[in-house]
Amino acid sequence: MDRRDFFKILSTASTGVMTGACGKKVDRYLPLLVSDSEITPGEEAWHPGVCGQCEAGCGIIVRVMEGERVVERKGELFRERIATIKKIEGNPLDPVSGGRLCARGQAAVQGLYHPDRLRGPMRRQSPRGHGDFALVAWEHTLSEIAGKLQHADPSRILYLTRPQAGTRALTAARFLKAIGAPPPVSFELADFPLELKAAQEVYGWNDLPVYDLRNAVYALGIGADFLGGWASPVFYARQFGHFRQGRTNVRGKLVHAESRFSITAQSADQWVPLRPGTELSFALALGHLLLSEKLARAAAPPQVLEAFQAVDVAEAARVCGVAEKRLRQVTRELGESEKPLVIAGASIPHTNSLAAVKAAAFLNVLLGNAGKPGGVLPPAVDPTGSRPAYAANALAQIERAQFLFLDGVDPLYTLPASTGVAEKLARIETIVSFSPFLNDSAAYADLILPDHHSLESSAAVFTPVSEGMAVATPFVHPLYDTRATEEVLAELAKKMNIEFVAATPKSAMEKMLPADQIWDAVVRQGGFRTEASREASKPPASTTLGTTPATFFGDPSQYPLHFLPYRSLQFDDGRSAHLPWMQELPDPVSSAMWSLPVEIDPQTAAKLGIKNGDRVRVESAYGKLEAPAYVDPAAAPGVVSMAIGQGHRHFGRYASNRGANPLSILAPAWEQETGALALGATRVRLARLGPGGGLVQFAVVDREAGPWGHR
Amino acid sequence: MEHRWGMAIDLDRCTGCEACVAACHAENNLPLSDPAEAEKGRAFHWIRVDRYYEGEFPDIRMKYMPVLCQQCEDAPCEPVCPTYATYHNAEGLNVQVYNRCVGTRYCGNNCPYSVRFFNWFEPEWPEPLELQHNPDVSIRPGGVMEKCTFCIQRIQRAKRDAKAEDRAITDGEVQPACVQSCPAEAMTFGDLDDPESKVSRLAASGRATRLLEDLGTKPKVFYLQRAK
Repeated sequence: MDRRDFFKILSTASTGVMTGACGKKVDRYLPLLVSDSEITPGEEAWHPGVCGQCEAGCGIIVRVMEGERVVERKGELFRERIATIKKIEGNPLDPVSGGRLCARGQAAVQGLYHPDRLRGPMRRQSPRGHGDFALVAWEHTLSEIAGKLQHADPSRILYLTRPQAGTRALTAARFLKAIGAPPPVSFELADFPLELKAAQEVYGWNDLPVYDLRNAVYALGIGADFLGGWASPVFYARQFGHFRQGRTNVRGKLVHAESRFSITAQSADQWVPLRPGTELSFALALGHLLLSEKLARAAAPPQVLEAFQAVDVAEAARVCGVAEKRLRQVTRELGESEKPLVIAGASIPHTNSLAAVKAAAFLNVLLGNAGKPGGVLPPAVDPTGSRPAYAANALAQIERAQFLFLDGVDPLYTLPASTGVAEKLARIETIVSFSPFLNDSAAYADLILPDHHSLESSAAVFTPVSEGMAVATPFVHPLYDTRATEEVLAELAKKMNIEFVAATPKSAMEKMLPADQIWDAVVRQGGFRTEASREASKPPASTTLGTTPATFFGDPSQYPLHFLPYRSLQFDDGRSAHLPWMQELPDPVSSAMWSLPVEIDPQTAAKLGIKNGDRVRVESAYGKLEAPAYVDPAAAPGVVSMAIGQGHRHFGRYASNRGANPLSILAPAWEQETGALALGATRVRLARLGPGGGLVQFAVVDREAGPWGHR
Repeated sequence: MEHRWGMAIDLDRCTGCEACVAACHAENNLPLSDPAEAEKGRAFHWIRVDRYYEGEFPDIRMKYMPVLCQQCEDAPCEPVCPTYATYHNAEGLNVQVYNRCVGTRYCGNNCPYSVRFFNWFEPEWPEPLELQHNPDVSIRPGGVMEKCTFCIQRIQRAKRDAKAEDRAITDGEVQPACVQSCPAEAMTFGDLDDPESKVSRLAASGRATRLLEDLGTKPKVFYLQRAK
């Protein structure tokens, strides 16, 4: 089945007829898992799946063809023909990806065939963190873990995982319930605890709001880098393309307010550079002006109106570092637009970001666009209700844990050293990691039980963008002696004599499928979508809006600069740094490859004598790092930023011991109401260390200034 | 000439996400670089995203511009090749025949767009990374020049499919990997000789420009400038 036939199938799937490789009609479905012995050289097959690179859950299609690998049997090398994955593209039927895919999603195939993937279960051979592991056998290892679990205090068993709703989360929750342990906990940078809580308190929705940018006419982004590493980059980039040039006679205008010149700010028609942590003042001032200029179209709860009305606009403008005239102009454009939309989020949370996101979301309430085309739409209802909750007290839980499961997370990398996470991990009696790679946290584990790659596993994944779920089934046999984590949990339960059934895509979706829907057809299309279950809008009658300014850590006289680490499109929270394509993908702004620079504004750079490519030290009251400098003409004065991604101690040959991790020097600062890590709350100082910082750039313009001249 | 393939890139849609760059690597088996080679300017990206700052802080904007081989009608790379490794095919593509290339690099020297890449080192894919290779595209050895082909293997495939079904290629049927992946749908590919094709209509739009047009290279990639 080639790509064109795949589309034919999609149109005929419900009737149970498909087209075979040579255009012959075949009245049965081919099995999805391509048998290695049956694969025909030169013939391709496209299968649907779900991207596992981030929580956006894009539907994908995967090209499977013949490949050859060398295996060792009894000391002799043999060539073995296997089905291999050649390329990943977006699934045109998927409402999230719409047939498109980001760079990271496409690079997932390198995770599958990465030379440093773990080949089987591993046992630690040296002190925690050193990273020496040896292969062990599954049977014995599982018995040992089951024994330890049986003797552990169930309340001190902790399961740290990603915030994605679906069969994995459902299975983990069931397992933990069966052994009497607390439910799985999510604790990472991609959790969106702020945006989730704000959605609940403003609109009464239980998941992330869906912004109908596609149909909006005027969009104002506040703090949400929605074209970059926030929420669902492919979905919003698709919406953005249409917003700009997809309609006759309507070109959407985007204004973006953020402290960094993020990829969203770069694509905007106007960027409003806010001083770090002043998103709240900005949103409050806009609310005040919407009300005072009589541009509000709907009412908000009385306490919120009071908070808006109490704002001194001139003072707010001063705090934000934005001219009052500009505030008034943005308000007028927003208020007078036929279809205005505010996209609210906190890509770089500060200590008061919940209030900021709520205030920005209340602008949508004032504009009356909730639930309307071009406005903010309610999320779909999660049929499994399985999204692991964000735990503000996860650090305390790690501290008291006796037994820790690490599933898809790397807290040692994503948490600042000042939180003492390394010491806390070191004290845990038993740590079991399901990571397919040796990463910083897995190096602390006693046992690593590598999970299959997402392209070798089955899963159903829920995303708030659409009703229903995306479904993946394995299309190739596991390359190594790995096991699906669902399967491992089932075996552990069996060894512990506990009744437990792992969730499968079919079982998770059974209830939502109409009687006439064939499961094979669901699998063939990569999921099932229905239009039945959007959340009802039930805004709470009363809610308060905090007005506390953000606090920063570090004495301003010693640490004069704001430090903003951010999640980039390439690396997200650092989880994609092991993929060579991502390492060599030039950073969109600095054009850096195989390295990530500290982005410094020209004024600060001139004052300190820093030039592009110099080696600089960034120092906070909590730690220091060294990295190359990139003097960014668009950086706001006094704001230093750096993409998260490098600085792994262990993460395969392409990422280990490369560059620095900006998260490592942050203060242990948290958003005051949700406990999200306040990425932007740390102050730093800079020092130039000398030339030759190791900045490798691809851009010809910058490279021609170097010693090598033209390519 | 059956077709004249061309591309239109809408800079008002492009967000600079570089999905196209990764797509190109996956489709065309581009060699992996390493930091040392990359530092010497020897990394490969058949398509890159150039960025231009417009204005000054705080009224600053960024223009992103994906740059790939412009498939010039009057291509400066072609007449300088002593071995006819780079030549103009019947459909207007600047084709690179790896087997003929002896590595003089004259073509790269003459290309005003810096989109040609020389294999300074033998490509290496640590086992089992080579399993991801696209079997439709040959691996280039050290010492030869390479560049964007408009995914000629996809064009050939579409032709074969159309012939087998005894029909003409439809507009939009051929999509190079970059075009296929673009999340913002900024890129359009098609036949410039077909006045009804989407790419022809975009190329005729008031926003359409060509890169370094004054050099007289007659590129077949059209950039739709950002609206003011």
